[in-house]
Amino acid sequence: MIGYILTNEEYNQVQGEFYTPEQFFNCVADINGVWYLFLSTQDKEDILNTTWNWILTLPEGEYIAPPAPPFPPVV
Amino acid sequence: MLFPFSFLQAQGPTYDADALAFFARVTAAGGSLTLTEKSAVNTLVLSMKANSIWTPMKAIYPMVGASAAACAQNLKSSSFTGTFTSGWTFASSGVTPNGTSAYMDTNLIPSSNMSNSSASMGFADNVSNTQPSGIEIGVQSATDGMTIWSNAFGVSNSRIARGADASSVAFTTGGRLYGSRTTATLQTLYRNGVSVATGVGAVTPLETVYTITLGGLNLSGTPNLFANGRYTFYFIGDGLSGTNITNLDSAIVTFNTSLSR
Repeated sequence: MIGYILTNEEYNQVQGEFYTPEQFFNCVADINGVWYLFLSTQDKEDILNTTWNWILTLPEGEYIAPPAPPFPPVV
Repeated sequence: MLFPFSFLQAQGPTYDADALAFFARVTAAGGSLTLTEKSAVNTLVLSMKANSIWTPMKAIYPMVGASAAACAQNLKSSSFTGTFTSGWTFASSGVTPNGTSAYMDTNLIPSSNMSNSSASMGFADNVSNTQPSGIEIGVQSATDGMTIWSNAFGVSNSRIARGADASSVAFTTGGRLYGSRTTATLQTLYRNGVSVATGVGAVTPLETVYTITLGGLNLSGTPNLFANGRYTFYFIGDGLSGTNITNLDSAIVTFNTSLSR
């Protein structure tokens, strides 16, 4: 799956921020701890004319998921 | 001024008060519904009320309106309005999380709204999850859980509070899945309205801190195990009997059939 690649600084800028009243950005780390942001086509349209449109210029790359957490989880 | 034949003016449809309140919440959030969607929702509400399955509900997400604004609304009440992450696709055919990072937070904490001897949850999908560890709805921490899933880890499963899970074979085609705990020692997993497994064993408390998420499992505050099916209905409520589930399943089938999805 292809996603936008974020630096730690960019991650801190966007994570949890609302771009519509009902939607917020959620990034996930890949197997190497690099942050990725995945946007649907509708998400991209939503932010196209907003202050968040710089996200659409970020480099993109193939995401490799880390192993799934143990289930049931160990806390 | 009086107009001739004014008595022939077209009258709008008459809707149930709770359906009307839902429509108003959708509009206030910036969403919209078609007349077909409104009619389907109204019929759903009436059917649930007629079969005594409206009152046990805490949250109903009928996933209509093809927008985040509409799909975030709880049909049952103005509580538990959802918030979506990025990565969802909203369509009249249902809502689809990306299976990698997308979930919806219901803002519903189990122990604050249900008891560990009476709780249920369920969903309908018309495209099944294909993520090997994708879980459609739930919350879990180290000591408790309230979650069901259709095919993650090779099984379908109900874990409405810990104790013995109700597990069955994995379901990999679209349908409806329900988990319901009706006593402190019994929970039942239903597929398309039919009981497929029971779990008998001592119960643990329901989750007291974290909220139930859709499209993934809230693991102690960090959603993970994301699913990627296409979902047309979610609910969370008190425990439902087998008859309740049969009636609910029929209402959901009618609802989605009327929406051609």
